[in-house]
Amino acid sequence: MNLPIPYPDPMPLPAPVWLLRTLLLLTFFLHVLFMNCLLGGTAVALVCTMRRKSSAFSARLAGDIGRLLPSVFAFTITLGVAPLLFLQVMYGHLLYASSILIGVPWLAIIGMVILAYYGSYFFSLKGHEPNGKTTVVLALVVLLLASIAFVYSNNFTLMLAPERWLDLYHSNASGWNLNWLEPSLLPRYLHFVLGALAVSGLGLLVMGLRQREDGYRQWLIAQGSSLFTGTTLLNFGVGFWFLVKLPGPVRLAFVGGNGLATALLGVGMLLPLAAVAHLIMAKAHKSPTRQLAIGISCGLLTVAAMVIMRDVLRNLALAPRFSPNQLPVAPQWSIIVLFVLLFVAGLATLYYMLRKVAIATMMQVAAAQKLQ
Amino acid sequence: MNYPVWQLGFPGGLLIAAVAVLHVFISHFAVGGGAYLVLTERRAYARNDSEMLGYVRHHSKFFVLLTVVLGAVTGVGIWFTIGLVSPEATSSLIHTFVWGWAIEWVFFFVEIAAALIYAYHWDTLDRQTHLIVGWIYFVAAWASLVVINGIITYMLTPGRWLETGNFWDGFFNPTYWPSLCIRTVMAMGLAGMFGLVTAMWERSPLRERVVRWAGWWLVLGIASLLPLSRWYFHDLPSYSRAYFNGAYIAVRHSLRGAAVCAVVALLLTVVFALLRPKMMNPVVVAVLLVAGFGVMGSGEYLREFCRYPYVINSYIYANDVRVGQMEGIVANGVGKSSSWVEASAENPQAYGRQLFVIECASCHSVSGYRAMRRFTRGWDAKFGSEILLHLPVVRETMPPFAGDEHDRAALGSYLASLAPATPSGASEKELGQQVFAIHCALCHSVGGQRRPLDLKGTDPEAIVGIIGTLRDINPDMPPFTGTDAEGRALAVYLSSPSQ
Repeated sequence: MNLPIPYPDPMPLPAPVWLLRTLLLLTFFLHVLFMNCLLGGTAVALVCTMRRKSSAFSARLAGDIGRLLPSVFAFTITLGVAPLLFLQVMYGHLLYASSILIGVPWLAIIGMVILAYYGSYFFSLKGHEPNGKTTVVLALVVLLLASIAFVYSNNFTLMLAPERWLDLYHSNASGWNLNWLEPSLLPRYLHFVLGALAVSGLGLLVMGLRQREDGYRQWLIAQGSSLFTGTTLLNFGVGFWFLVKLPGPVRLAFVGGNGLATALLGVGMLLPLAAVAHLIMAKAHKSPTRQLAIGISCGLLTVAAMVIMRDVLRNLALAPRFSPNQLPVAPQWSIIVLFVLLFVAGLATLYYMLRKVAIATMMQVAAAQKLQ
Repeated sequence: MNYPVWQLGFPGGLLIAAVAVLHVFISHFAVGGGAYLVLTERRAYARNDSEMLGYVRHHSKFFVLLTVVLGAVTGVGIWFTIGLVSPEATSSLIHTFVWGWAIEWVFFFVEIAAALIYAYHWDTLDRQTHLIVGWIYFVAAWASLVVINGIITYMLTPGRWLETGNFWDGFFNPTYWPSLCIRTVMAMGLAGMFGLVTAMWERSPLRERVVRWAGWWLVLGIASLLPLSRWYFHDLPSYSRAYFNGAYIAVRHSLRGAAVCAVVALLLTVVFALLRPKMMNPVVVAVLLVAGFGVMGSGEYLREFCRYPYVINSYIYANDVRVGQMEGIVANGVGKSSSWVEASAENPQAYGRQLFVIECASCHSVSGYRAMRRFTRGWDAKFGSEILLHLPVVRETMPPFAGDEHDRAALGSYLASLAPATPSGASEKELGQQVFAIHCALCHSVGGQRRPLDLKGTDPEAIVGIIGTLRDINPDMPPFTGTDAEGRALAVYLSSPSQ
């Protein structure tokens, strides 16, 4: 069958594939961490606002998450721009085609992000005194974020399935489509959403470890542990469903057919088990910080493994037809060096500003304690 | 042609314009507003003006809510939109400038972090550090403009890049510097404009102090625009400068609109901000915002118009067809060049519609914006097919038709079907006038500026002879495809066109 795959851009890639892929995966990993904290965090905050009357800690956590939301939102977006850029260089011809086919929901992402973003600001201003209105706004934010994630799942599966493109185009050329025919769509989406909830559980653990007040600290750690453990165990089932629904050759690659894919799947299953085991062990410890830190690290490494696995899955799905390694390369080294220098300078500037804020905040806390 | 076409029912360019103008309006404020914040804060410290300091604090919150949310997300929105409407050009831009964008991303990241720290740590940071964070914000925001300006101007004037393909040749192109200067002063002007917005929430006498201070920013921004625009105009490609000769109504209207908006904004600011700041009120501020939006929108529209018939000058046409592929498409036909059309010998009009979507719909709609029905009224299929051979002559802003003879016939047939009409008239002259409107008025006028036809007093029989040999007279002319009676009526009209 002749598939309508657009030809890749005739210009050579402006950097070696390894560099583009490294930057894609690194920035996507950071994006996913923030995005998971955003999606999972707003869901947690929503539950907390609904429980605000029966649990003082819940009300407090809703307020604490509210204060963090705008910044987490800002960095989710900022960190999302970079992987989208590097993805377009290597896979743009596939992504543009699938985006056009689902043009309406794809562009609606922008409107949904703006609404959710302003909703999160509203919650950050009012979240410390949650009421019915803040609950409704937050529920809308959660719904919008979940919808955005769903559209992303649609596009990133559709870009791998050119055999479906012409039918979609002929059935609706105005972009009112979704990739419903993709067997792995729902398990993939659920796998990622549950993962987001699990990572927000890690976020609660970090908040707990940074908390000085003992009761609230214990509560946050308990909640974070339960959230991570529960959703992760559930995700094993959903992950299996996802695996089963992958196209035959890709599925086989993950269960022995391809060394890297199989190893990644193994690591991707062992790491969350290790994380869960350490979080359970932490419950029995008097000073659980070490166990929790190992649990959190294993959780973060799981995310890293999943990000790499997702990339391997994409390349396996495209393997018969396309690989970025086929493309000609003509690196623009002078500008790459400039980028690296500015990137380091940017990190240094960020470090300078955050350090100043941290020192100033510590001094303020110390001064307030002195006064008491 | 390489991609499917998102069929919106209106030209995709309109969608890009809507998202882009909103983004550009806010993002320029985001740049100039950084300098405004930090200089206003410094001024408040220097004068020990705690009220003014209170104003800057409020303004910084407004600033973040508008720029970090709406400004930043609509910026991503432009990316999404251009990828949907002009994927070929977007891909080309990404391949040429991915590292420019990566650098812009670094500045964007620093900018967002600095904006949040600046707005939310007034009480945490000491004055000097807070000011430094403000400066970091401004430098990062302006640096992101420095980068994106190179990419935007490259699309209009790629300069030596066309020969070398070198990043820096494309980036520092002929309109880079005037455009950067224009955008910078626009940014400063918009900072003053939004300064006036938040000033309306303050009480007197602080309100007057802020209004006068913000007014200066706006006045200097607008006043600098005229000389800088002349510099920019001077560096435009000569074919683009020719669009300003009065032949294009859209250009005339945009120029007038921009000038009127700028003058109104300048006068209102001088009177209500500098001379009588007590009289400044939310209605005047709203008019100023509309005027500012008008200047910005008109400017961006004109810049885009200057690029026609290309989206990347001399490299990719406005309909996303690559200049380098034109020859192959003309030789092989669209059917062999695109997977997204289905050639049909039985139903040429249906095939023609697909060609319209793929070749014309990025700028034209059937009956809305730049409606084809308006242009094709009374066409016959043969005329439609012939005129497609001469598109860049009909309008300098049009790309040549990409397709073979079969494609041309199909699209011509479809275009002719949009507004069928048979010319008729009470007199031969009236009929001739209608025939002129259908067959000649796309390129010519009688007694007008656009390629005037002056055959007054010529023997109609001689004109009939001319009409029969148009292609011999000028190969850029399509043959006359009307009936003999219509040709004769046209000759009568041209011989004595006065009423």
